[in-house]
Amino acid sequence: MTIRNTLQDHGQRYRPRMASLKKSEKVLLEMQDPKTGLKSQPQRLVITTIPHAITGEDIIAWLADRFQVNTQEARSFGSMLVAFGYIYPLQDHKRLVIKPDASLYRFQTPYFWPTQLLPVEDTDYAIYLAKRNIRKKGILEMHEQEHYNRLHKWMNHKWDFIVMQAKEQYRAAKERKKPDRVVFDCQERAYWVVHRPPPGTVSAMDYGLDRQIDPNSDEAATPDFYERIMIFTQQSIMRPRVKSSVSIGALVKYCATYNNHDPFLSNCLPSNPWITDDVTFWTLNMPCVEIPTKMRVERWTFSFAELLSDTRGRDDFRLFLKKEFSGENLAFWEACEDLKWGKAASIKEKAEHIYKTFLARGAPRWINIDGKTMEVTVKGLKHPHRYVLDPAQTHIYMLMKKDSYGRYQKSPVFKDTVKKAICPDEHRFSGPQLEQNYKKRRPSLSPIILRQMEQEQRAKMAANIDITQLCRFTTPVPHLAVYSGFTDYPTATASPSLTFLAHTPACPSPISVGLDSTSVSERRVEEAEGDGNPAARAPVGGNVSRSRMALSLRRLLKGGCTPATMFASLSPKCHSAAGTSSRIQPIGPDQPSQAPPRRIGNFFQIKVDIPPECRIYPIESEDEEEESRAAFRGGVGAKEIICPWESLTTHNGTG
Amino acid sequence: MPLINNKVGDDGTVGKDKALVDGKALVDSLIKVVACYRVLATCVGGCTDSLQLRDELRQTREKAQRLAMAIRSHLTSHLRDKSLPEEQRKEMEILWVGFSSSLELLHVDMCKVFNMGDIFSLSKKETRVQNGLQGGGSEVAARALSVPDLNQPQSTSLPAEFESHERSTMEKDISQLDHMIDDMEMKVNVLRWMVEPHGPQYPDPLSSTDSASLLSVDEEQPGHQHLHQRRKLFVLLLLVAVVLVVATISICIVFFS
Repeated sequence: MTIRNTLQDHGQRYRPRMASLKKSEKVLLEMQDPKTGLKSQPQRLVITTIPHAITGEDIIAWLADRFQVNTQEARSFGSMLVAFGYIYPLQDHKRLVIKPDASLYRFQTPYFWPTQLLPVEDTDYAIYLAKRNIRKKGILEMHEQEHYNRLHKWMNHKWDFIVMQAKEQYRAAKERKKPDRVVFDCQERAYWVVHRPPPGTVSAMDYGLDRQIDPNSDEAATPDFYERIMIFTQQSIMRPRVKSSVSIGALVKYCATYNNHDPFLSNCLPSNPWITDDVTFWTLNMPCVEIPTKMRVERWTFSFAELLSDTRGRDDFRLFLKKEFSGENLAFWEACEDLKWGKAASIKEKAEHIYKTFLARGAPRWINIDGKTMEVTVKGLKHPHRYVLDPAQTHIYMLMKKDSYGRYQKSPVFKDTVKKAICPDEHRFSGPQLEQNYKKRRPSLSPIILRQMEQEQRAKMAANIDITQLCRFTTPVPHLAVYSGFTDYPTATASPSLTFLAHTPACPSPISVGLDSTSVSERRVEEAEGDGNPAARAPVGGNVSRSRMALSLRRLLKGGCTPATMFASLSPKCHSAAGTSSRIQPIGPDQPSQAPPRRIGNFFQIKVDIPPECRIYPIESEDEEEESRAAFRGGVGAKEIICPWESLTTHNGTG
Repeated sequence: MPLINNKVGDDGTVGKDKALVDGKALVDSLIKVVACYRVLATCVGGCTDSLQLRDELRQTREKAQRLAMAIRSHLTSHLRDKSLPEEQRKEMEILWVGFSSSLELLHVDMCKVFNMGDIFSLSKKETRVQNGLQGGGSEVAARALSVPDLNQPQSTSLPAEFESHERSTMEKDISQLDHMIDDMEMKVNVLRWMVEPHGPQYPDPLSSTDSASLLSVDEEQPGHQHLHQRRKLFVLLLLVAVVLVVATISICIVFFS
């Protein structure tokens, strides 16, 4: 029941423009021309003949001739007209496509043409279904029955009216002659196939959300209207401009690069699911697939952004960084993304975590950003908001892009991935096979279920961390910590990642691999404690998901007070000064003045100079870590990592 | 013995009952007219579109409007009457819902016909959609106007200024209907969701013995109907044969006993 609301209501309740309808109407009218239009033939039914039936091939030929296009395009255009409901098929009435053979179609009467102005009401549908029920042979299909029951429930108050109207329409239609009755029934049925499509099909009249502005109303020429035009033009003038040679060059380069990767412009392997109804393409390119396709891997080489935005690429990159022991950059970047896009209520908590994990002096996964950025960031963290970590994130992003990305592309990890990538063969479906595919279409998993599966997986990962977590730090370590506990390290973990991998399944899930990437430091710390169980390293840090981050970071803090990055520099691969992930230069004047410990060529001894103020102690809430920390660092003046905005007195000059 | 008249016919109730019956009759005829208007509207723009059709549409529309006016005054006066007993009020509300729904349908149909008149002008005969119809809507219009036969003088020539006149009249009528609907909402406060209909859940299948039901619209299986007919015939014959056999046996028994 629509009550026309004359009040100014700012809700979205207008249908969009739908200009295609007006244009289709013109084409339809041209088709009716007795001289240049379509030729029709009578359709023979059992008892009667009904005129004005047209064949599919005639329609396609006419369209191709009128618009000077090839047959394929004319066919698509014809299918569009059928999908809108301007032409309806006489056989196979539920499939709204044009078949390029002698199958028959007829023009829909203008009353049943789709319009932008008048939406299709449920009341009419209820009347139609009631009418179908009246006819002796009218049997409602499953989806129609469901609709009927639903409408009966929601429109119960006017059900008397609906039934009466259905009866009257039926009786009125009976007054006409038989052929006209048949035609009318066909027309109505075709109309409802378009506007209430059977399950598994999509209505061409779907237009997404309602709009806020009525496109049929004329915009009033008020001063406000002109003001808006003026502001818009002023801003257009002020916009910074780029030389067209540059911008066009960029466009050309982009098109050339992505041309082969676009399923619309070139053949996607094995086949485009929208065309052939075969979903192999989508299953092969799922986010967490283990063996990516060649095209996908090629895309990772186009730009760093491509690599990061593809989940599988990111996992690969994380694996590489884990081997290089510089996973904290990616972890920080992901943590920043999580902060940016997460819930507003959790911003403060996440910001705290990030600070404690990545930014504070002596943080477990300290990242290397320059002094100015660090200053700005820490100052901003006093009043954390969504974008407070943007400068730092950008810095780290550029760091990864300029340095790690290049090395990644030359790394064995990547080369291995490239070798393993698959290139599926192209499908060649025949006509009947395509029909089969169409019939076999099934809806994919509901996003709710997908999210649940994701959460379960994450919980499993988190549970894994708990089980294998070890932290035993009982002996206090003097200020100048000398870690000589690497005797068994090299043997056990000559290539740390490999050993770890040996204990994971053949194709480790990217998440578990990712988890392991930054566990190396912890492992080493634990090795130092003489714990010779490299296999039971708890994956810590570098988590894929945000929810596990807190848990894992706590584990890391428990496991080792020493910043992971200190040990990152111990990686056999990146011991050079160019190691971005290692703490090469002091961050700022407040930072410890000593150079970070450098790998001197073997795993055995590392000198760590840690000034007293750099001691890290967790805050009271994390009791377990306290003792381990204390044990590790010695009992000299325990200081806590306090976020600068919490108290400015205990930390001198951190903030 | 004095006749104890138990049925005390209250004049008021009788009057109200009559009002109810009247109202129901009016609403039923409005529903009928609206249905006929819709069926006629489907012919507009097709190959059978003609001056006659437009005329029939106009007449049907005018009848609907007259009925609407009558019902409106009838129902508003009764529903604003505070002294109406509860069951009567409920019935009135059901009628009200039927009335407003019919008006809405009529409004939509009138808008559609108006828009189509834009595209399919009577003067341009080439722009007719070949929709497969052959007959006109005269019978439907006759049903709408409750006359046995619609005897229209076949005026082939288009009177001057016909189209513009038609359009202005239609525009006026549409806005009038609009106002009527708004007016009704203001004056009478009927909570639609509280109205409980008393019809059957599914409409009764009409016992149609005519051959219309035999003509299937399912053109995918045109031979199906033949089969159905044959089967019916066969069953009938079988029945007749059985009856004959039973009759002969009984006659034999009678004859020989």
